Amino acid sequence: MSSPDRRAMLRLVPSTAEDHCPSQWFCGHCGAPPPNNETPAPPARVCGECGLGLLLEARADAVPRPSDPFLIVDGSLSVCALSAEAERLLAVAETDVINRPVTELVTPADAEAAGPESLAAAIMWAARGEDEPRRVMVRPANVFGVRMPLRVGACGPPRAALLVLE
Amino acid sequence: MRYLKTSEAAALLNVSPNTLRAWERRFGFPRPQRSPGRHRLYTHGEIAALRDALLDGLSISSAVSRAREGLGADTNALVGALNAFDAGRADAALEGALALRSLDRAVQEVLLTALDEVARRHGTDSVQWAFAARWGNSWLRRAQRLVTPSVRAITVVLGDASRDDLDIDAAYIRALELLLARSGASVLGLSVRGVSNMSEALAAHRPDAVVIAGGALADDAVARWAYAVRLATGALPVAVYRRGSQRQRVRTTGAGLLPSTPGEAARHLMELASHSVSNPTTSRTTPPRLLADGA
Ligand SMILES: [Zn+2]
Repeated sequence: MSSPDRRAMLRLVPSTAEDHCPSQWFCGHCGAPPPNNETPAPPARVCGECGLGLLLEARADAVPRPSDPFLIVDGSLSVCALSAEAERLLAVAETDVINRPVTELVTPADAEAAGPESLAAAIMWAARGEDEPRRVMVRPANVFGVRMPLRVGACGPPRAALLVLE
Repeated sequence: MRYLKTSEAAALLNVSPNTLRAWERRFGFPRPQRSPGRHRLYTHGEIAALRDALLDGLSISSAVSRAREGLGADTNALVGALNAFDAGRADAALEGALALRSLDRAVQEVLLTALDEVARRHGTDSVQWAFAARWGNSWLRRAQRLVTPSVRAITVVLGDASRDDLDIDAAYIRALELLLARSGASVLGLSVRGVSNMSEALAAHRPDAVVIAGGALADDAVARWAYAVRLATGALPVAVYRRGSQRQRVRTTGAGLLPSTPGEAARHLMELASHSVSNPTTSRTTPPRLLADGA
C-alpha cells in the first residue's frame, strides 16, 4: 500500500489525540503561560508570573495571548475570573464582578441575527466541555455602539467557558 | 486556635510570602492579625479553607469568595440557633467559629454579626432579640472571666453608658472589655450611673486611660461620671466608644474616637494607654476636655 493510501485509511478512524488540537496552560489573570509550558501540579496552580491568577488549560486555538482581554465563566453564566486586560477594557475590578451574571459585563450584539441565547448557548456548550471555539458578537454592557467579536472556548479545571474579546 | 507565620501559611498554599501579601492587598483575604512584634499571624482555618477552595477554583477571586462563604456558615449557624432559642447550639456554633478564627474575629465576625442580624430581622423589642442579647452578653462575660490574668501593666476604666443588656451597644461593650483583657489590660467596668465614692474605686485600680462606651445614657449623666473620674485621678487620656453622634461631641471635646469594631478599638485604646504610661507628664497634664468642662 502506498503511503498516501495509508493516510487516507487512517483518516477514516475517528478523531484521536493525533489530530486533536494541542492544549496549553495560561494564567487566568495575566494570560502568561507556566514556565516551559509545563503542566502544573494541582496544588501549585497559582501563576508564578503575577501571583494573582490560577493556571488553566485550554485548546491552543482558544488560549488568549497575554494582551487579550478575557473572562472565565461557569455553566451557570456567572463570572469566575476576569483578566487584568478585561478589567481595564470593561472598567471593572474582578473582585467586584465575581459570581455576577456575565450579561452584566457583555451582552449579545446580534440579538436579531443569531438569537439572544447564542451567547448563553455558546458559554454553556463550552462549560460542558465542547471545545471547538465559537464566535459571537457582543458589546460591553455599559457602552453603546461598540461591538466586538468574542471567542468562546472551553477551559479548566474545573470545566468552564473561556471568553476572549478579540 | 492554631496560628501560622507568613512563611508557614505561604508554604501551605504553595505560594511565596510576597504573593500572600499581594492577596491581602487585592482580595482582603486571608486577613492576618498582628503579633505583639507586628508580624503577620494567619489562622490555620482560614488558610486551610482557602487551600481547599484553590484546588478546584477558576481564579483566586472565586476561591476567596468560596472560602469566605464557608467561614460565613458559622454566622448562619449561630443566627439559626439564636432564632430557635437554643443556647446549647449557639454555644456550639461559636465553638466551631473559634476553631477557625482568632477570638477577636470570632467575636466580631460571628457573635456580633449574628446579634446584629437577629436585631435587624426581628427588632430589638422582639423575644428573639431578648434571648440573643442575653446569650451574647453572658457568653462574653464568661469568656472574660476565663482570660488568664497577665502582668497588668495597663489599667482602663470603662464608663458603661448603655441602657442594659438589651441595648444593642451592650454586647459591643462586653466585647471591648473582653478584648482589652485579652490584650493584657486590667479593665474596671463601671456603669456611669454610679458616681459617689469614685475615688475609692480608682485608688484601688489607678487607671491609665478612660473610655466612655455606649450611647443610651444622657450627656449630663456621662459628664457627671467623667468629672468624678477626673477629680479622683487627675487628667487622663479619654476615649469614646459607640456613643451616638460622638463625632460631633469629639470635635468639641478633643476625646479620642475609637473605631466601632471592638478589636480595633481595643488596639487603639491600648496604644493610648501605653502612651500615657510611657509619657506620664505630657499626657496626664493635658486636661481631659471630654464633657467634664461642661461641653
Ligand atoms: Zn499570571
